[in-house]
Amino acid sequence: MKTMEIRIQRYLPEQHSVPQVESYQVPFDDSTSVLDALNHIKEEQDSSLSYRWSCRMAICGSCGFMIDGEPKLGCKVFLRDYAAAGTVLIEPLAHFPVERDLVVDLEQFMQHLDAIQPYIIKDRPNGVTEMRPNKQTPAQLDKYQQFAACINCGLCYSACPQFGLNPEFLGPGALALAHRYNLDSRDEGRAERMPLINSDEGAWSCTFVGYCSEVCPQQVDPAAAVNQAKVLSAQDMVLQLFRRKKG
Amino acid sequence: MRKAVKRSDEPVWWALFSGGGVCFAILVPAAAFFLALALPLGWVSLDHEQALAAFTSIFGVVFAGGVIALPAFHAAHRIRHGLYDLKFGARGLIKWLAYGLATLASIYALGCWFVRFLL
Amino acid sequence: MSYKSELGRTWWLKNPAFKAYMLREATVLPLVFFILCMLAGIYSLGKGEQAWQSWVVVMGNPLVLTLNALALVASLYHAATFFVLFPRVMPVRLGGQKVPDNLIVIAQWAGVAAVFVLAAWVFWGVL
Repeated sequence: MKTMEIRIQRYLPEQHSVPQVESYQVPFDDSTSVLDALNHIKEEQDSSLSYRWSCRMAICGSCGFMIDGEPKLGCKVFLRDYAAAGTVLIEPLAHFPVERDLVVDLEQFMQHLDAIQPYIIKDRPNGVTEMRPNKQTPAQLDKYQQFAACINCGLCYSACPQFGLNPEFLGPGALALAHRYNLDSRDEGRAERMPLINSDEGAWSCTFVGYCSEVCPQQVDPAAAVNQAKVLSAQDMVLQLFRRKKG
Repeated sequence: MRKAVKRSDEPVWWALFSGGGVCFAILVPAAAFFLALALPLGWVSLDHEQALAAFTSIFGVVFAGGVIALPAFHAAHRIRHGLYDLKFGARGLIKWLAYGLATLASIYALGCWFVRFLL
Repeated sequence: MSYKSELGRTWWLKNPAFKAYMLREATVLPLVFFILCMLAGIYSLGKGEQAWQSWVVVMGNPLVLTLNALALVASLYHAATFFVLFPRVMPVRLGGQKVPDNLIVIAQWAGVAAVFVLAAWVFWGVL
Protein backbone atom coordinates (compact mmCIF):
# COMPACT_ATOMS: atom_id res chain seq x y z
CA MET A 1 0.00 0.00 0.00
CA LYS A 2 1.19 3.53 -0.78
CA THR A 3 2.14 5.85 2.04
CA MET A 4 2.48 9.58 2.20
CA GLU A 5 3.72 12.10 4.72
CA ILE A 6 1.20 13.81 6.98
CA ARG A 7 2.65 16.77 8.85
CA ILE A 8 0.58 17.85 11.84
CA GLN A 9 0.92 20.92 14.04
CA ARG A 10 1.12 19.51 17.55
CA TYR A 11 0.61 21.49 20.74
CA LEU A 12 0.65 19.81 24.14
CA PRO A 13 0.58 22.69 26.66
CA GLU A 14 2.15 20.54 29.37
CA GLN A 15 5.15 19.82 27.11
CA HIS A 16 5.41 22.63 24.53
CA SER A 17 5.61 26.37 24.92
CA VAL A 18 4.84 26.85 21.23
CA PRO A 19 3.19 24.60 18.66
CA GLN A 20 5.49 22.43 16.54
CA VAL A 21 5.04 20.37 13.41
CA GLU A 22 5.54 16.59 13.58
CA SER A 23 5.66 14.20 10.66
CA TYR A 24 3.94 10.83 10.20
CA GLN A 25 3.84 8.28 7.37
CA VAL A 26 0.30 7.10 6.66
CA PRO A 27 -0.86 4.33 4.28
CA PHE A 28 -3.61 5.48 1.94
CA ASP A 29 -5.69 4.60 -1.09
CA ASP A 30 -8.19 6.54 -3.20
CA SER A 31 -10.81 6.53 -0.44
CA THR A 32 -8.64 7.70 2.47
CA SER A 33 -9.76 11.03 3.87
CA VAL A 34 -7.70 13.34 6.07
CA LEU A 35 -9.95 12.28 8.96
CA ASP A 36 -9.17 8.62 8.19
CA ALA A 37 -5.47 9.52 8.30
CA LEU A 38 -5.84 11.21 11.69
CA ASN A 39 -7.75 8.22 13.07
CA HIS A 40 -5.03 5.90 11.76
CA ILE A 41 -2.29 7.95 13.42
CA LYS A 42 -4.15 8.05 16.73
CA GLU A 43 -4.96 4.35 16.69
CA GLU A 44 -1.65 2.98 15.35
CA GLN A 45 1.09 5.53 15.91
CA ASP A 46 0.48 8.26 18.47
CA SER A 47 -2.49 8.08 20.81
CA SER A 48 -1.69 11.51 22.25
CA LEU A 49 -3.02 13.23 19.12
CA SER A 50 -6.17 15.28 19.84
CA TYR A 51 -8.76 16.46 17.28
CA ARG A 52 -12.53 16.83 16.96
CA TRP A 53 -14.67 14.64 14.72
CA SER A 54 -18.04 12.92 14.71
CA CYS A 55 -20.25 12.10 11.73
CA ARG A 56 -17.43 11.65 9.15
CA MET A 57 -19.89 12.72 6.47
CA ALA A 58 -19.64 16.54 6.39
CA ILE A 59 -22.84 17.35 8.27
CA CYS A 60 -21.83 17.74 11.92
CA GLY A 61 -19.22 20.41 11.29
CA SER A 62 -16.76 19.05 13.90
CA CYS A 63 -13.64 18.20 11.89
CA GLY A 64 -12.56 21.57 10.55
CA PHE A 65 -8.77 21.99 10.03
CA MET A 66 -6.36 24.08 7.98
CA ILE A 67 -5.23 21.65 5.28
CA ASP A 68 -2.24 23.04 3.39
CA GLY A 69 -3.33 26.47 4.59
CA GLU A 70 -6.97 26.22 3.51
CA PRO A 71 -9.90 25.74 5.92
CA LYS A 72 -11.58 22.43 5.10
CA LEU A 73 -13.47 19.54 6.70
CA GLY A 74 -11.16 16.57 7.30
CA CYS A 75 -13.82 14.06 6.35
CA LYS A 76 -14.39 15.76 3.00
CA VAL A 77 -10.75 16.01 1.88
CA PHE A 78 -8.95 13.06 0.34
CA LEU A 79 -5.23 12.25 0.54
CA ARG A 80 -5.24 11.23 -3.12
CA ASP A 81 -5.43 14.96 -4.01
CA TYR A 82 -2.14 15.59 -2.20
CA ALA A 83 -0.41 12.44 -3.41
CA ALA A 84 1.44 14.26 -6.19
CA ALA A 85 3.10 16.52 -3.62
CA GLY A 86 3.66 13.51 -1.37
CA THR A 87 2.97 15.54 1.75
CA VAL A 88 0.16 17.53 3.37
CA LEU A 89 0.20 19.90 6.34
CA ILE A 90 -2.64 19.82 8.87
CA GLU A 91 -3.01 22.70 11.33
CA PRO A 92 -5.77 23.79 13.69
CA LEU A 93 -8.44 26.20 12.39
CA ALA A 94 -6.96 29.65 11.98
CA HIS A 95 -8.00 32.73 13.99
CA PHE A 96 -8.99 30.72 17.08
CA PRO A 97 -6.84 30.04 20.17
CA VAL A 98 -5.35 26.54 20.08
CA GLU A 99 -6.19 24.47 23.15
CA ARG A 100 -4.37 21.28 22.24
CA ASP A 101 -3.07 19.87 18.94
CA LEU A 102 -5.88 20.40 16.40
CA VAL A 103 -8.51 21.38 18.98
CA VAL A 104 -9.35 25.10 19.00
CA ASP A 105 -11.31 27.22 21.42
CA LEU A 106 -14.52 28.13 19.58
CA GLU A 107 -15.98 30.19 22.41
CA GLN A 108 -15.86 33.49 20.48
CA PHE A 109 -17.79 31.90 17.60
CA MET A 110 -20.37 30.47 20.03
CA GLN A 111 -20.82 33.85 21.70
CA HIS A 112 -21.40 35.60 18.37
CA LEU A 113 -23.99 32.98 17.34
CA ASP A 114 -25.82 33.44 20.63
CA ALA A 115 -25.67 37.23 20.46
CA ILE A 116 -27.73 37.49 17.26
CA GLN A 117 -30.58 35.43 18.74
CA PRO A 118 -30.70 32.55 16.24
CA TYR A 119 -34.33 31.52 16.72
CA ILE A 120 -37.79 32.64 15.62
CA ILE A 121 -38.77 35.66 17.71
CA LYS A 122 -42.47 36.44 17.99
CA ASP A 123 -43.87 39.81 18.94
CA ARG A 124 -46.17 39.13 21.91
CA PRO A 125 -47.46 42.54 23.13
CA ASN A 126 -49.96 41.00 25.52
CA GLY A 127 -47.36 38.76 27.08
CA VAL A 128 -49.70 35.83 26.44
CA THR A 129 -48.39 32.77 24.66
CA GLU A 130 -50.65 32.45 21.63
CA MET A 131 -50.65 29.30 19.55
CA ARG A 132 -50.66 30.50 15.97
CA PRO A 133 -49.93 28.23 13.03
CA ASN A 134 -46.67 29.17 11.31
CA LYS A 135 -47.60 28.79 7.66
CA GLN A 136 -45.02 29.51 4.98
CA THR A 137 -45.19 29.30 1.20
CA PRO A 138 -42.38 27.75 -0.88
CA ALA A 139 -41.53 31.25 -2.14
CA GLN A 140 -41.15 32.50 1.44
CA LEU A 141 -38.94 29.53 2.26
CA ASP A 142 -36.83 30.15 -0.82
CA LYS A 143 -35.92 33.64 0.45
CA TYR A 144 -33.86 32.34 3.36
CA GLN A 145 -33.35 28.61 2.80
CA GLN A 146 -29.81 28.85 1.46
CA PHE A 147 -28.69 30.73 4.58
CA ALA A 148 -30.28 28.07 6.84
CA ALA A 149 -27.91 25.35 5.64
CA CYS A 150 -25.11 26.34 8.06
CA ILE A 151 -23.60 23.47 10.10
CA ASN A 152 -21.61 25.78 12.42
CA CYS A 153 -18.29 24.29 11.32
CA GLY A 154 -16.40 27.56 11.72
CA LEU A 155 -14.46 27.28 8.43
CA CYS A 156 -15.73 30.72 7.38
CA TYR A 157 -14.21 32.26 10.50
CA SER A 158 -10.85 30.78 9.63
CA ALA A 159 -11.26 32.12 6.11
CA CYS A 160 -12.21 35.62 7.21
CA PRO A 161 -9.24 38.00 7.59
CA GLN A 162 -11.45 40.61 9.25
CA PHE A 163 -12.27 38.12 12.02
CA GLY A 164 -8.58 37.26 12.14
CA LEU A 165 -7.72 40.94 12.61
CA ASN A 166 -10.55 41.54 15.10
CA PRO A 167 -12.29 38.65 16.89
CA GLU A 168 -14.96 41.06 18.13
CA PHE A 169 -16.34 41.05 14.57
CA LEU A 170 -19.56 38.97 14.62
CA GLY A 171 -18.24 37.10 11.60
CA PRO A 172 -19.72 35.45 8.51
CA GLY A 173 -21.49 32.55 10.25
CA ALA A 174 -23.33 34.56 12.90
CA LEU A 175 -24.27 37.33 10.46
CA ALA A 176 -25.52 34.85 7.86
CA LEU A 177 -27.64 33.22 10.56
CA ALA A 178 -28.97 36.61 11.72
CA HIS A 179 -29.87 37.42 8.12
CA ARG A 180 -31.51 33.97 7.78
CA TYR A 181 -33.88 34.82 10.61
CA ASN A 182 -34.46 38.37 9.41
CA LEU A 183 -35.58 36.97 6.06
CA ASP A 184 -37.82 34.29 7.60
CA SER A 185 -41.48 35.29 7.22
CA ARG A 186 -42.31 33.63 10.56
CA ASP A 187 -39.84 35.81 12.45
CA GLU A 188 -40.78 39.15 14.03
CA GLY A 189 -37.46 39.87 15.72
CA ARG A 190 -35.58 41.96 13.17
CA ALA A 191 -35.65 45.03 15.42
CA GLU A 192 -33.90 43.06 18.15
CA ARG A 193 -31.12 41.91 15.83
CA MET A 194 -30.50 45.16 13.98
CA PRO A 195 -28.54 47.01 16.72
CA LEU A 196 -25.81 44.35 16.60
CA ILE A 197 -25.84 44.20 12.80
CA ASN A 198 -25.71 48.02 12.64
CA SER A 199 -22.64 48.26 14.86
CA ASP A 200 -19.00 48.49 13.73
CA GLU A 201 -18.52 44.86 14.73
CA GLY A 202 -21.66 43.83 12.85
CA ALA A 203 -21.99 43.75 9.10
CA TRP A 204 -19.76 46.81 8.74
CA SER A 205 -16.48 45.05 9.55
CA CYS A 206 -16.90 43.02 6.38
CA THR A 207 -14.97 44.11 3.29
CA PHE A 208 -16.38 41.40 0.99
CA VAL A 209 -13.17 39.42 0.68
CA GLY A 210 -15.57 36.59 -0.14
CA TYR A 211 -13.27 33.74 0.88
CA CYS A 212 -15.79 32.63 3.52
CA SER A 213 -18.22 31.68 0.77
CA GLU A 214 -15.51 29.82 -1.11
CA VAL A 215 -14.70 27.55 1.86
CA CYS A 216 -18.25 26.94 3.10
CA PRO A 217 -18.97 23.19 2.76
CA GLN A 218 -22.72 23.86 2.54
CA GLN A 219 -22.70 26.63 -0.11
CA VAL A 220 -24.41 29.00 2.33
CA ASP A 221 -22.70 32.01 0.69
CA PRO A 222 -22.25 33.93 3.95
CA ALA A 223 -20.57 36.80 2.07
CA ALA A 224 -23.83 37.42 0.21
CA ALA A 225 -25.77 37.30 3.48
CA VAL A 226 -23.48 39.76 5.26
CA ASN A 227 -23.55 42.22 2.37
CA GLN A 228 -27.32 41.93 1.99
CA ALA A 229 -27.41 42.69 5.71
CA LYS A 230 -25.42 45.87 4.96
CA VAL A 231 -28.23 46.99 2.64
CA LEU A 232 -30.83 46.32 5.37
CA SER A 233 -28.64 48.13 7.89
CA ALA A 234 -28.31 51.19 5.63
CA GLN A 235 -32.08 51.20 5.08
CA ASP A 236 -32.53 50.90 8.84
CA MET A 237 -30.34 53.96 9.36
CA VAL A 238 -32.44 56.03 6.95
CA LEU A 239 -35.71 54.82 8.50
CA GLN A 240 -34.35 55.73 11.93
CA LEU A 241 -34.00 59.34 10.76
CA PHE A 242 -37.70 59.44 9.87
CA ARG A 243 -38.73 57.76 13.10
CA ARG A 244 -36.79 60.36 15.09
CA LYS A 245 -38.36 63.24 13.18
CA LYS A 246 -41.89 61.96 13.90
CA GLY A 247 -41.60 61.21 17.62
CA MET B 1 -31.64 43.14 28.41
CA ARG B 2 -28.59 43.24 26.17
CA LYS B 3 -26.22 46.16 26.56
CA ALA B 4 -26.61 48.99 24.04
CA VAL B 5 -24.24 48.98 21.05
CA LYS B 6 -23.39 52.11 19.11
CA ARG B 7 -24.70 52.35 15.52
CA SER B 8 -21.85 52.60 13.03
CA ASP B 9 -21.70 55.54 10.61
CA GLU B 10 -20.36 53.19 7.93
CA PRO B 11 -23.59 53.17 5.85
CA VAL B 12 -22.84 56.74 4.75
CA TRP B 13 -19.34 55.94 3.50
CA TRP B 14 -20.43 52.58 2.12
CA ALA B 15 -23.21 54.24 0.09
CA LEU B 16 -20.69 56.69 -1.38
CA PHE B 17 -18.26 53.80 -1.97
CA SER B 18 -20.98 51.83 -3.77
CA GLY B 19 -22.02 54.77 -5.94
CA GLY B 20 -18.39 55.43 -6.68
CA GLY B 21 -17.89 51.77 -7.51
CA VAL B 22 -20.65 51.88 -10.10
CA CYS B 23 -19.08 55.02 -11.65
CA PHE B 24 -15.56 53.57 -11.52
CA ALA B 25 -16.82 50.50 -13.36
CA ILE B 26 -19.13 52.13 -15.90
CA LEU B 27 -17.89 55.68 -16.53
CA VAL B 28 -14.16 55.65 -15.79
CA PRO B 29 -13.10 53.11 -18.47
CA ALA B 30 -14.40 55.34 -21.28
CA ALA B 31 -13.17 58.51 -19.57
CA ALA B 32 -9.69 57.06 -19.08
CA PHE B 33 -9.56 55.76 -22.65
CA PHE B 34 -10.72 58.95 -24.36
CA LEU B 35 -9.28 61.67 -22.10
CA ALA B 36 -6.09 60.06 -20.80
CA LEU B 37 -5.04 57.96 -23.78
CA ALA B 38 -6.84 58.91 -27.03
CA LEU B 39 -6.60 62.67 -26.52
CA PRO B 40 -2.89 62.99 -25.68
CA LEU B 41 -2.06 60.38 -28.37
CA GLY B 42 -3.98 62.37 -30.98
CA TRP B 43 -6.61 59.74 -31.75
CA VAL B 44 -9.24 62.33 -30.85
CA SER B 45 -8.97 66.10 -30.81
CA LEU B 46 -10.40 68.44 -28.22
CA ASP B 47 -9.32 72.08 -28.37
CA HIS B 48 -9.82 74.52 -25.52
CA GLU B 49 -13.05 75.92 -26.91
CA GLN B 50 -14.59 72.48 -27.41
CA ALA B 51 -13.44 71.29 -23.97
CA LEU B 52 -14.95 74.36 -22.33
CA ALA B 53 -18.25 73.86 -24.17
CA ALA B 54 -18.31 70.20 -23.12
CA PHE B 55 -17.43 70.88 -19.48
CA THR B 56 -19.97 73.68 -19.06
CA SER B 57 -22.69 71.47 -20.56
CA ILE B 58 -24.59 68.72 -18.79
CA PHE B 59 -21.66 66.40 -19.58
CA GLY B 60 -19.62 68.49 -17.19
CA VAL B 61 -21.66 67.70 -14.09
CA VAL B 62 -21.73 64.01 -15.06
CA PHE B 63 -17.95 64.21 -15.41
CA ALA B 64 -17.39 66.14 -12.18
CA GLY B 65 -19.76 63.92 -10.21
CA GLY B 66 -19.36 60.55 -11.87
CA VAL B 67 -15.73 60.51 -12.96
CA ILE B 68 -14.20 62.57 -10.14
CA ALA B 69 -16.36 62.98 -7.02
CA LEU B 70 -17.92 59.57 -6.50
CA PRO B 71 -14.85 57.59 -7.62
CA ALA B 72 -12.81 59.74 -5.22
CA PHE B 73 -14.99 58.54 -2.32
CA HIS B 74 -14.73 54.99 -3.62
CA ALA B 75 -10.94 55.25 -3.62
CA ALA B 76 -10.87 56.91 -0.18
CA HIS B 77 -12.99 54.12 1.31
CA ARG B 78 -10.85 51.35 -0.16
CA ILE B 79 -7.60 53.04 0.85
CA ARG B 80 -8.91 53.60 4.37
CA HIS B 81 -9.99 49.97 4.81
CA GLY B 82 -6.92 48.71 2.95
CA LEU B 83 -4.61 50.48 5.38
CA TYR B 84 -6.54 48.87 8.24
CA ASP B 85 -6.08 45.49 6.55
CA LEU B 86 -2.34 46.20 6.45
CA LYS B 87 -2.49 46.81 10.22
CA PHE B 88 -1.87 50.55 10.14
CA GLY B 89 -2.97 52.34 13.29
CA ALA B 90 -4.33 55.88 13.52
CA ARG B 91 -7.76 54.77 12.31
CA GLY B 92 -9.46 58.05 13.09
CA LEU B 93 -6.81 60.15 11.38
CA ILE B 94 -6.77 57.95 8.26
CA LYS B 95 -10.57 57.99 8.06
CA TRP B 96 -10.92 61.75 8.14
CA LEU B 97 -7.88 62.33 5.88
CA ALA B 98 -9.25 59.92 3.28
CA TYR B 99 -12.81 61.28 3.18
CA GLY B 100 -11.55 64.83 3.67
CA LEU B 101 -9.39 64.67 0.55
CA ALA B 102 -12.24 63.06 -1.40
CA THR B 103 -14.51 65.89 -0.24
CA LEU B 104 -12.01 68.52 -1.37
CA ALA B 105 -11.65 66.90 -4.79
CA SER B 106 -15.44 66.72 -5.10
CA ILE B 107 -16.01 70.31 -4.01
CA TYR B 108 -13.38 71.52 -6.47
CA ALA B 109 -14.67 69.54 -9.45
CA LEU B 110 -18.37 70.22 -8.81
CA GLY B 111 -17.64 73.77 -7.72
CA CYS B 112 -15.88 74.54 -10.99
CA TRP B 113 -18.96 73.37 -12.84
CA PHE B 114 -21.42 75.33 -10.72
CA VAL B 115 -19.41 78.53 -10.34
CA ARG B 116 -17.54 78.43 -13.66
CA PHE B 117 -14.05 77.74 -12.32
CA LEU B 118 -13.26 78.68 -8.74
CA LEU B 119 -9.54 79.23 -9.13
CA MET C 1 -2.89 27.32 28.53
CA SER C 2 -4.17 27.97 25.00
CA TYR C 3 -1.96 29.38 22.28
CA LYS C 4 -3.11 32.39 20.22
CA SER C 5 -1.13 33.82 17.37
CA GLU C 6 -1.69 37.31 15.97
CA LEU C 7 -2.18 37.94 12.26
CA GLY C 8 0.96 39.49 10.81
CA ARG C 9 0.99 42.38 8.34
CA THR C 10 1.61 39.95 5.48
CA TRP C 11 -1.37 37.65 6.13
CA TRP C 12 -2.66 38.33 2.63
CA LEU C 13 0.44 36.85 0.95
CA LYS C 14 -0.37 33.42 2.37
CA ASN C 15 -3.33 32.56 0.12
CA PRO C 16 -4.26 33.24 -3.55
CA ALA C 17 -7.76 34.33 -2.50
CA PHE C 18 -6.29 37.02 -0.26
CA LYS C 19 -3.83 38.20 -2.93
CA ALA C 20 -6.68 38.58 -5.39
CA TYR C 21 -8.58 40.60 -2.77
CA MET C 22 -5.64 42.96 -2.20
CA LEU C 23 -5.17 43.36 -5.95
CA ARG C 24 -8.85 44.27 -6.26
CA GLU C 25 -8.50 46.85 -3.50
CA ALA C 26 -5.30 48.20 -5.07
CA THR C 27 -7.15 49.10 -8.30
CA VAL C 28 -7.98 52.41 -6.64
CA LEU C 29 -4.32 53.47 -6.61
CA PRO C 30 -4.07 54.10 -10.38
CA LEU C 31 -7.60 55.56 -10.10
CA VAL C 32 -6.29 58.20 -7.69
CA PHE C 33 -3.57 59.14 -10.19
CA PHE C 34 -6.18 59.38 -12.95
CA ILE C 35 -8.42 61.58 -10.78
CA LEU C 36 -5.51 63.90 -10.05
CA CYS C 37 -4.88 64.18 -13.81
CA MET C 38 -8.53 65.04 -14.35
CA LEU C 39 -8.46 67.68 -11.61
CA ALA C 40 -5.37 69.16 -13.25
CA GLY C 41 -7.31 69.15 -16.52
CA ILE C 42 -10.20 71.11 -15.03
CA TYR C 43 -7.74 73.59 -13.55
CA SER C 44 -5.95 74.02 -16.88
CA LEU C 45 -9.28 74.41 -18.66
CA GLY C 46 -10.11 77.33 -16.42
CA LYS C 47 -6.74 78.98 -16.96
CA GLY C 48 -7.12 79.29 -20.73
CA GLU C 49 -5.94 78.04 -24.11
CA GLN C 50 -2.21 77.94 -23.27
CA ALA C 51 -2.70 76.02 -20.02
CA TRP C 52 -5.07 73.56 -21.70
CA GLN C 53 -2.55 72.73 -24.44
CA SER C 54 0.19 72.29 -21.83
CA TRP C 55 -2.02 69.89 -19.93
CA VAL C 56 -2.64 67.79 -23.06
CA VAL C 57 1.13 67.71 -23.69
CA VAL C 58 1.90 66.62 -20.10
CA MET C 59 -0.78 63.93 -20.38
CA GLY C 60 1.23 62.63 -23.34
CA ASN C 61 4.35 62.10 -21.21
CA PRO C 62 5.28 58.37 -21.38
CA LEU C 63 5.15 57.85 -17.61
CA VAL C 64 1.78 59.61 -17.34
CA LEU C 65 0.43 57.60 -20.27
CA THR C 66 1.63 54.36 -18.67
CA LEU C 67 0.01 55.14 -15.33
CA ASN C 68 -3.26 56.12 -16.97
CA ALA C 69 -3.19 53.00 -19.14
CA LEU C 70 -2.79 51.13 -15.86
CA ALA C 71 -5.80 53.07 -14.55
CA LEU C 72 -7.81 51.88 -17.55
CA VAL C 73 -6.80 48.26 -16.92
CA ALA C 74 -7.56 48.72 -13.21
CA SER C 75 -11.02 50.11 -13.97
CA LEU C 76 -11.81 47.07 -16.11
CA TYR C 77 -10.53 44.63 -13.45
CA HIS C 78 -12.57 46.50 -10.86
CA ALA C 79 -15.62 46.30 -13.14
CA ALA C 80 -15.15 42.55 -13.57
CA THR C 81 -15.01 41.94 -9.81
CA PHE C 82 -17.68 44.52 -8.94
CA PHE C 83 -20.23 43.22 -11.46
CA VAL C 84 -20.18 39.68 -10.01
CA LEU C 85 -20.54 40.97 -6.45
CA PHE C 86 -23.49 43.23 -7.25
CA PRO C 87 -26.19 40.52 -7.78
CA ARG C 88 -25.04 38.84 -4.55
CA VAL C 89 -25.58 42.05 -2.58
CA MET C 90 -28.85 43.01 -4.27
CA PRO C 91 -30.50 39.91 -5.72
CA VAL C 92 -33.08 41.02 -8.28
CA ARG C 93 -36.46 39.33 -8.25
CA LEU C 94 -38.88 39.76 -11.15
CA GLY C 95 -42.37 38.31 -10.71
CA GLY C 96 -41.41 35.95 -7.88
CA GLN C 97 -38.41 34.54 -9.73
CA LYS C 98 -34.78 35.39 -9.07
CA VAL C 99 -33.07 36.91 -12.11
CA PRO C 100 -29.98 34.78 -12.91
CA ASP C 101 -26.71 36.34 -11.74
CA ASN C 102 -24.99 36.15 -15.12
CA LEU C 103 -27.79 38.20 -16.72
CA ILE C 104 -27.13 40.98 -14.21
CA VAL C 105 -23.41 40.78 -14.97
CA ILE C 106 -24.03 41.01 -18.74
CA ALA C 107 -26.39 43.96 -18.24
CA GLN C 108 -23.69 45.85 -16.35
CA TRP C 109 -21.08 45.21 -19.05
CA ALA C 110 -23.67 46.45 -21.56
CA GLY C 111 -23.67 49.68 -19.56
CA VAL C 112 -19.89 49.98 -19.94
CA ALA C 113 -20.21 49.39 -23.69
CA ALA C 114 -23.00 51.95 -23.96
CA VAL C 115 -20.85 54.62 -22.32
CA PHE C 116 -18.01 53.82 -24.75
CA VAL C 117 -20.40 54.14 -27.68
CA LEU C 118 -21.72 57.44 -26.33
CA ALA C 119 -18.21 58.80 -25.84
CA ALA C 120 -17.19 57.66 -29.31
CA TRP C 121 -20.23 59.45 -30.74
CA VAL C 122 -19.29 62.61 -28.81
CA PHE C 123 -15.65 62.59 -29.95
CA TRP C 124 -15.90 61.23 -33.45
CA GLY C 125 -19.48 62.25 -34.31
CA VAL C 126 -21.04 65.56 -33.54
CA LEU C 127 -18.23 67.23 -31.55
